[in-house]
Amino acid sequence: MKLANVMIIARKEFRDVTRDRRTLMFMMLLPIVVMPLLVTGVSRFAINQMKAKGERELTIAADPLARNQLTTLANRWLTKNALTIGVISSKLGLDTASTLDGLGRLSERAELLRSQSGDKPGEDAAMLAQMKAMEEMTPDQQQFLSDIGSVSRLLTLTEWTTLDVLPAAGDGKLAQGVTIPKDLPPALADPRVAAAITSKEKTVHAAIDVPVDSLERLIDGEDPSAGVKLTVLYDSSQSLSDEAFDRLSAFIEAISRSEMRGRLSAQSLRPGFIEPFELREANVASSSRKSQAFLGGLLPYIAILFSFFGAFYPSLDLTAGEKERFTLETLLLAPVSRLDIAAGKFVVVFTTAITAAVLTITSMALTFSYGVLPEGTARVFHLEFQPLALVLTASLLVPVAALFAALLLGVALCARSFKEAQTYATPIQFLIILPAVAAMMPDLETELKWAWVPLMNVSLLMKELLKGNYLWEFYGITLGSMLALAGLVLWAASRLFQRESVLLRT
Amino acid sequence: MNELVVATELSKVYRGAKGSQTRAVESVSFSCRAGEVFGLLGPNGAGKTTTLRMLSTVLAPSGGSAVIAGHDVVRDADGVRASIGFLSGNTGLYPRLTPREVLAYFGRLFGMQEATIAQRTAELSRRFGMDEFLDKRCDALSSGMKQKVNVARTVLHDPPVMILDEPTTGLDVLASRTIVEFVKECRTRGKCVIFSTHIMGEVSRLCDRLAIVHKGRVQFLGTLPELRARAGDDLEEAFIAILEQAA
Repeated sequence: MKLANVMIIARKEFRDVTRDRRTLMFMMLLPIVVMPLLVTGVSRFAINQMKAKGERELTIAADPLARNQLTTLANRWLTKNALTIGVISSKLGLDTASTLDGLGRLSERAELLRSQSGDKPGEDAAMLAQMKAMEEMTPDQQQFLSDIGSVSRLLTLTEWTTLDVLPAAGDGKLAQGVTIPKDLPPALADPRVAAAITSKEKTVHAAIDVPVDSLERLIDGEDPSAGVKLTVLYDSSQSLSDEAFDRLSAFIEAISRSEMRGRLSAQSLRPGFIEPFELREANVASSSRKSQAFLGGLLPYIAILFSFFGAFYPSLDLTAGEKERFTLETLLLAPVSRLDIAAGKFVVVFTTAITAAVLTITSMALTFSYGVLPEGTARVFHLEFQPLALVLTASLLVPVAALFAALLLGVALCARSFKEAQTYATPIQFLIILPAVAAMMPDLETELKWAWVPLMNVSLLMKELLKGNYLWEFYGITLGSMLALAGLVLWAASRLFQRESVLLRT
Repeated sequence: MNELVVATELSKVYRGAKGSQTRAVESVSFSCRAGEVFGLLGPNGAGKTTTLRMLSTVLAPSGGSAVIAGHDVVRDADGVRASIGFLSGNTGLYPRLTPREVLAYFGRLFGMQEATIAQRTAELSRRFGMDEFLDKRCDALSSGMKQKVNVARTVLHDPPVMILDEPTTGLDVLASRTIVEFVKECRTRGKCVIFSTHIMGEVSRLCDRLAIVHKGRVQFLGTLPELRARAGDDLEEAFIAILEQAA
């Protein structure tokens, strides 16, 4: 093999493929422009959807009397806790929360502050003080804050309807997969109620049954130790119905907690009397650590996939494409060895593969780091990668790109035409997705045995490196085995370049 | 005698699936000297292209040998390729490169200096009238223009042996004429030209000697007058008569 010949071929091939729009698209446009737009767009869409769901008015069917009782319970809760609400509001920088509007703002504020905990830089002093206040709140206060949201949502975002109009709304037929639970209260047992909730029109999101007499006695304080059993009928396969159940259940839990506190204090008992154990959740992961755990799984997958995309078109173009254009035979007539030709083409495809992967990682990291994401998420996804982790990650891309370049060149060389090469090469994409996605599987631990599984080892190791875990033994095995595999495939591909039956198959 | 191409008992066997074998060329022998145009005639599938591919080292012979300008096709393939200019319907141009870039690329692969490449490019551009499209991408050129560039690529390194495999197939009258003139010029300049075709007009105008190949074997080897003496005055009839004798 003559290096000078390899470089002459590589220079020409590089010029050739960079004039090909498909190559440019996969190597440059997709990583630099499309991926950031896609990530930003999808996350904005998802967040807007979540926000819209949280702010959406939902329809709940209930007996009119039950509805009045639930509303009474909510208002009573607010009155009873007005003082505490005021104190918490001022801690979070809001003047008043006495109105329902104010309560909504308070919930939003708490949500915003919570999403930014763990990230310090660049905030104004007032905001920092409020974040500190949030962090210093006791678990009870935190719970109370979330209860404010649950109670106010029931009052402001619920459209009530009565159970007796339901049969008219639905056609009474149950959709496929809908089963009515046993032992339902009579009001909910009628199949037409379930039919209305699961109907395509989605006019009713959930139905609640309340034993009005027992609840009346509880509200009036006539039966201070009574337990009231409420039933909510909903469809967890529909997101709005699920949301309706969550709201009702959060509301019931909120008033239940308040009721319990009242009963205990009436008996001069402390909460520990009925809750002998209390578990405090103390999570050391900051939000940026959490986001690194998420991105640590996503980035390896994207890097591996885009390395493949980067190699895909050039490898097909420089082999099967050349056969189709009759330029391969022209090249075979030049006084260079077939090994030189294989090496020159490999250099180019390897370069496009690694360029695509590096550009993708860089543009993704920048997208997540510098605020094109919606407020609240930009800081959640704030990234701080250590330089050593980035260097080691890049070093892992070398055998990955080499493997894909050699594999695709070999496979595509066997094809008669570009189209045939696509037919051969596309299934490989599906084969690589499975090991590449390993790092995104939450329960898969990075055990040493996985270091021997090609691509899965790279995927898992990149995730660990991005979290700052330097697993040197794992790294050594991964890099060594991947280089050996890439070398083996490259050797096999170079053998194919020596076979006239493959080269001249047209 | 200054014989630049000597093929001796050349054979080629293609191995197919399940161990099947196809004998494409069997014991083909001929030679060609400097300043001579040697025609290789035969119907489609006769083995012409396979023979020429063996001479140009694209295919390795299954048996026999061939020596081009003193280089053995098996032992010194690089030497052979440096000594030949090969043109056929299967030698295409890079559509995304310009003719100037194509010539520079092959010049470098043939070990030429940059200054020599530039000088040869200018000469050939004048000779074949390529100045107008020398810097246009090849995919924007007409088939006649492309053929001129291909011819220029073939002679860029000024090889002593030219191998042309049905070079006029698919070309219009004007483009074919360019090729015919080019072959004549090669002969004048003392090149050894091996020319495969099935067009009798080209044979009578160009070939000094010829071989008729059918079913992988040489059925006739000699000069045009010898062919006429053996099979009649009409070249086409003579050609068919030889093929029928071989059947």
